[in-house]
Amino acid sequence: MTWKRVCSAGDIEPGRLAPFVVDGITVIVANLGDDGFSVFPPSCPHMEEPLDQSGICAGLILTCSKHLHQWNMRTGEPTGPEENDRELLRYESRVEGGELLARIDGELVYEHEDDEDDDFEW
Amino acid sequence: MPARNHKRWNEVPGELREGEYIDSRIYSDRAIFEEELAKIWKKSWIVACHESEIPEPYDFRTTTIAREPIIVARGSDNQVRAFLNVCPHRGNTIENRPSGSFRNGTASGAPRHMTCMYHGWQFDMKGNCTHISREKEGYQNRLSRNDLGLRRLRCEVHFGGFVWVTLDDAIGKTVEEWGAGCFDCLQKHVDAEPLEVFHYHKAIIHANYKLWHDTNSEFYHDYLHYHNRITGFNDAYFARQNTGFENGHVTVGSFEVQYDKYEGFESRESLSFPGLPPNHWYMIDMFPGVNFNLRGSALRCDIMTPLAPDRVLIEFRGLGLKSDTPEERMSRVRHHNSIWGPFGRNLHEDLLAVTTQQAAMNEHAEPRRILHGRHENNTIHDEIGMRHFYDEWGRWMNRRPSDPEKPYAAAA
Repeated sequence: MTWKRVCSAGDIEPGRLAPFVVDGITVIVANLGDDGFSVFPPSCPHMEEPLDQSGICAGLILTCSKHLHQWNMRTGEPTGPEENDRELLRYESRVEGGELLARIDGELVYEHEDDEDDDFEW
Repeated sequence: MPARNHKRWNEVPGELREGEYIDSRIYSDRAIFEEELAKIWKKSWIVACHESEIPEPYDFRTTTIAREPIIVARGSDNQVRAFLNVCPHRGNTIENRPSGSFRNGTASGAPRHMTCMYHGWQFDMKGNCTHISREKEGYQNRLSRNDLGLRRLRCEVHFGGFVWVTLDDAIGKTVEEWGAGCFDCLQKHVDAEPLEVFHYHKAIIHANYKLWHDTNSEFYHDYLHYHNRITGFNDAYFARQNTGFENGHVTVGSFEVQYDKYEGFESRESLSFPGLPPNHWYMIDMFPGVNFNLRGSALRCDIMTPLAPDRVLIEFRGLGLKSDTPEERMSRVRHHNSIWGPFGRNLHEDLLAVTTQQAAMNEHAEPRRILHGRHENNTIHDEIGMRHFYDEWGRWMNRRPSDPEKPYAAAA
């Protein structure tokens, strides 16, 4: 179990998110203001949308602007009006001496199906 | 010969017979045009693009066939598929760009998917619908994404890597069968190794699509081409044969062209296509509107998309071998442009001819006869190519090209 430095706590304004690369692994860091930080993988659990472009923070809620799927960034639970049963995976994180640290032992990835089967018939 | 009064002008001239002349209304009448789209263009194999334009998985190209929007995309399995470019939800156009890649997603959609920007519906490269918003809340159990795949179209990559698409599920013919042997003269040379498009341009011409096909179907309009008249001819040029094939296709036989005798030209001796002797010139006119023209080192393909009775979109492509060295490619490009480029030998003159032809047979003009009556042993002076095309046209339309008010009858 390794804690690794991701960035300085002051690198991201509250209510914003940004990508960082830690030992070759890309993560998204969201500044939740009084609720600290959330560190999670860069692609949307839904369909691999790039969250550094499509992710929008509002309080604890992350919205992917592509299909409006939403998650609570503290708990990872899906929320909002879209049907969504996928959890937002997160890396454990803490702030120490003004530095944001995350426990990154390996890359967290979602399983996505490639194209569905081509069972088309004329 | 004296000029003719109105009565004489309207009589069939000389002893020309049915099949040797056609009525100008088939180039200008709106109802006939709409009927052509329905009876011919929606029922034929049409070239959408070349596979080298979508070389990587998730690459796509869009076009239209008979006003229907079409998208051709390469899947992760490398297979090329074609679909109606229409969202099954509210009928929006799914992809508006002429070409690109879905690999990294779009502004409103996920990577590796087509996205309708309107409501974010998603489709994979096989046409499966993979996401619709509020599927269960909105449709309960009445409708699911499994019911909402794209409209797939029959699609084949054939005859040198061209992507053929048809709107007719029941066409009952492969592209090979559709060709009916007309591609035999070139097939092994263009199928030996992958080809690649090196030139593309398109133009909307103020002419009926058949006029462009006509000008590709006879070779004795060199009166039009100043450079042709003064350089490069030999007897073999005029001895070439037109050959008709089933389904309305026509080829023009080859001969050895003395390109170095063309003023300002160089020999094409050193560069050809696999197994093909150098300096040759083959022409394949396929029904209803695609033309393949191989001149020694460069293959040209004209794809016609009729837009209106007096408008046709022509897409011009030049192709060489994918394996070309940079030097070989430059030679092919130079040879292509010297004939067909904007300052080339004859393309612009052909375009001028069909435009002025159309101007004289506009939809309000009195119907008149267009003569296709030359018989010269099927050589390039012979108008057999056009007669063959219009006989096929009449069959598909069930109209007589010489009098479109009457039903088709085979020429005597």
